[in-house]
Amino acid sequence: MTSARWSWRRMPAGVSVVVVLAALLALVACERAAAPDHSAALGLPPLAVPADNPLTPAKVALGRKLFFDRRLSPNRTMSCAMCHVPEQGFTAHELATSVGIQGRSVRRNAPSVLNVAWQKRLFHDGREITLEDQIWGPLLSANEMGNPSMGYVVERVRGIEDYAGLFEAAFGGEGASAGRIGAAIASYERTLTAGDSRFDRWRYGGERSALTALEQRGFKLFSGKARCVSCHSVGERDALFTDHGFHNTGIGWARTYLTPERTRVELAPGVYAEIDRRTLATFSEPSVRDLGRYEITLDPRDRWAYKTPSLRNVALTAPYMHDGSFATLESVIEFYDRGGIDNPDKSALLAPLGLTGEERAALAAFLRTLTGSAVAALVEEARRTPSGR
Amino acid sequence: MSNPQRIRRRTIAAALAAAFAGAAFADETCNSPYTARLIKGQEDYVHVWTLGVEGVGDGSDKLVTIDANPKSKGYGKVVHSHSVGGRGEAHHMGFTDDRKHLWAGGLDDSKIHIFDVGTDPAKPKFVKTIADLAKQTGFVGPHTFYAMPGRMLIQSLSNAKDHGGKTGMAIYNNKGAFVAKYDMPEGEVGVVKGDGYGYDIAINPRKNVMLTSSFAGWNNYMMDMGKMVKDGEAMKRFGATMAAWDLKAMKPKQIFSVPGSPLEIRWSLNPKDKWAITATALTSKLWLIKPDGKGGWQAKDVATIGDPSKIPLPVDISISADGKGLWVNTFMDGLTRYFDLSNPEAPKETYTKKTGKQVNMVSQSWDGKRVYITSSLLANWDKKGDDNEQFLRAFHWDGKELKPAFEVDFNKEKLGRAHHMKFSAKGGKKT
Ligand code: HEC
Ligand code: HEC
Repeated sequence: MTSARWSWRRMPAGVSVVVVLAALLALVACERAAAPDHSAALGLPPLAVPADNPLTPAKVALGRKLFFDRRLSPNRTMSCAMCHVPEQGFTAHELATSVGIQGRSVRRNAPSVLNVAWQKRLFHDGREITLEDQIWGPLLSANEMGNPSMGYVVERVRGIEDYAGLFEAAFGGEGASAGRIGAAIASYERTLTAGDSRFDRWRYGGERSALTALEQRGFKLFSGKARCVSCHSVGERDALFTDHGFHNTGIGWARTYLTPERTRVELAPGVYAEIDRRTLATFSEPSVRDLGRYEITLDPRDRWAYKTPSLRNVALTAPYMHDGSFATLESVIEFYDRGGIDNPDKSALLAPLGLTGEERAALAAFLRTLTGSAVAALVEEARRTPSGR
Repeated sequence: MSNPQRIRRRTIAAALAAAFAGAAFADETCNSPYTARLIKGQEDYVHVWTLGVEGVGDGSDKLVTIDANPKSKGYGKVVHSHSVGGRGEAHHMGFTDDRKHLWAGGLDDSKIHIFDVGTDPAKPKFVKTIADLAKQTGFVGPHTFYAMPGRMLIQSLSNAKDHGGKTGMAIYNNKGAFVAKYDMPEGEVGVVKGDGYGYDIAINPRKNVMLTSSFAGWNNYMMDMGKMVKDGEAMKRFGATMAAWDLKAMKPKQIFSVPGSPLEIRWSLNPKDKWAITATALTSKLWLIKPDGKGGWQAKDVATIGDPSKIPLPVDISISADGKGLWVNTFMDGLTRYFDLSNPEAPKETYTKKTGKQVNMVSQSWDGKRVYITSSLLANWDKKGDDNEQFLRAFHWDGKELKPAFEVDFNKEKLGRAHHMKFSAKGGKKT
């Protein structure tokens, strides 16, 4: 790769752009092998790091410990990683929507935290803007980690023996505080860099043979006939596969208005039964509303609009969409091929595509080329030191 | 495995092997064969491990003791209750081999609370809490507590990494110190692939075999059941296997494909019999585990429970001491069903009674004359609203009819969700 990847450009106001190379090299030095290589960022824009929270190996290591520590919930069962599971693409394959403390229902699918540093707005409805602040969402939600207050979390961390000295070492002598817990976790998240996919090597690294003919055809469709790029943006020098915008594809609307009479349930592989709505209600808690971006803006045009997710590492992050309603990339592509679900606020960018079976297969093949080269190393690093079980 | 670990493991195996010689099938039909001091006559108390419910009474998990002796003044009444603090998804319990202590586990917080029930069964005395299961083993959700000589074998349901179904077993000594762990088998053992899941344990010492079954991880057993059945991903994460282990070696020898989540396993207590039985929760079937004629074992689907297309959800089972009959509770329709097991190859449902709006556990006395039923399955699987009855109901069984004996309404008494039951007798009598 070329050193141009690390140029100081497109600097957002109030934020200094830091070359992570140095920090990561330092990590390699202090943790021996397997820290992700800087080339893991090929195809990603430069990483923006807030001026008041520079990346340091001590902070990253502390943030990682916190991220995996189940003692960060009152009954010591939930850590960030119980929903953002490294081996499952830093999301959770085994659930459409998350399950929080004491089994409480979370209405949405856990997004991957790979490359999350490049997100401009956080959560499916974009209600949060910095990683430093974002942690208090899950930490304090009664249905996620269930802590009663920020002070409670700070006191808990201060009281755990194996944190003794770690905050002081990472923060110039200062002990644990709400802000520093956020700074540490955010720092760890900023190292979850997963670019340098086969697609990146093909498009940005000059490796013409990195993609097969079918995959190249898929990218052509993605940026042409299938019009995926109109929301999942791809630039000349890098690609985040998101426009950072919010769109209504019809999934949320349909869930709200089209309640099925019967639910088909897979009891064992290939064995199905149906449950009628009335029976289902006897053992279901009342369903909670989810109006998407509208809940934040109160603008009716934002009803059931959700953030465009990055498609990087999408082969690793099933199930898909804000409610985890699609199990496979094939079913997502079929959904777009049908033009989404019609409803009054549906994005004008969605319409039936008329893709052939072969074209759908090519698109799926392309989406599977977006897996970052460092993911395995990030998983290994995540589990190297067990934290707080 | 490090050397000290290997040595320790060998010592455990030797200790177990030494103890097997004297083991006899025992107890009120569902406990470990190593449990001493059987109650073959009238039980004095039923201990109910009860889930705390937010906003009900003190909201805490508790061990509730109910007087079950008809000759006693307090018959049918709560005589004692001990709250352990918090809600940890109270689930199953098991006696130590000497029957002095009762271990009660929480599927959520993975705490194991030990009670002294030997000294005064009317007032179980809290001894201590074991809280290092996840730290020692990486497993969470301690489910089955199976007495071994001087030790407790614990089957877990989940793990601390991803809250999925991959898990294992742990051995603690009777004092509560961790001894060893065993992963549930994954990958091919024989022709069938293990899923790494666990649920129940049933040992037949004479055959040197331990059977295990498979359920689901924390994600599934903790979540709202309505949410779960709508979640196609979650529904793919149920156990579909049983394993037969070489007991002395603690090594899996065979895996059987048993789709639909096989739960409780019971060996026939009749010394002439060589089979065990289990029920699959999701697919509503009884499966028989019997010799395969080649020195090993096989699992065979032998009966249907109710109409599987309606998902009756058979949960707990209770085998009669002579191995001739089996109670099966189906949670969804609230039915308690009796299966005639005279021919274990073809169990026949011969009696059915609606015993509640939802029913889970069923336990019978050694003589089969008394049958106890509780209502709660899991905090977030129990029915909602009016269907959420919570009770212990005691019945007399004369072979023809279940006749109500007494009932404790756990909602009205502000106790919580009534779950697992264990019997005790004054002064360890009636052995
Ligand atoms: C109970 C499961 C659960 C736990 C625990 C959890 N998360 Fe999440 N996470 C989610 C879900 C679900 C969302 C999406 C929520 C929404 O959009 O409303 C999410 C969103 C996020 C996002 C935003 C990603 C994006 O692309 O917008 C980040 C960052 C994140 N979580 C980090 C964390 C951290 C750090 C912790 C621990 C402090 C944590 N999570 C704990 C389930 C969980
Ligand atoms: C109108 C803008 C738009 C267009 C055009 C579009 N998408 Fe999306 N895409 C989104 C939004 C918004 C979401 C998230 C929806 C949700 O969470 O419910 C999404 C989600 C996805 C996801 C799921 C990702 C995840 O992690 O859950 C995939 C895969 C995907 N899109 C692929 C495509 C493909 C392939 C195309 C072209 C056929 C395409 N998209 C066209 C806006 C768009």
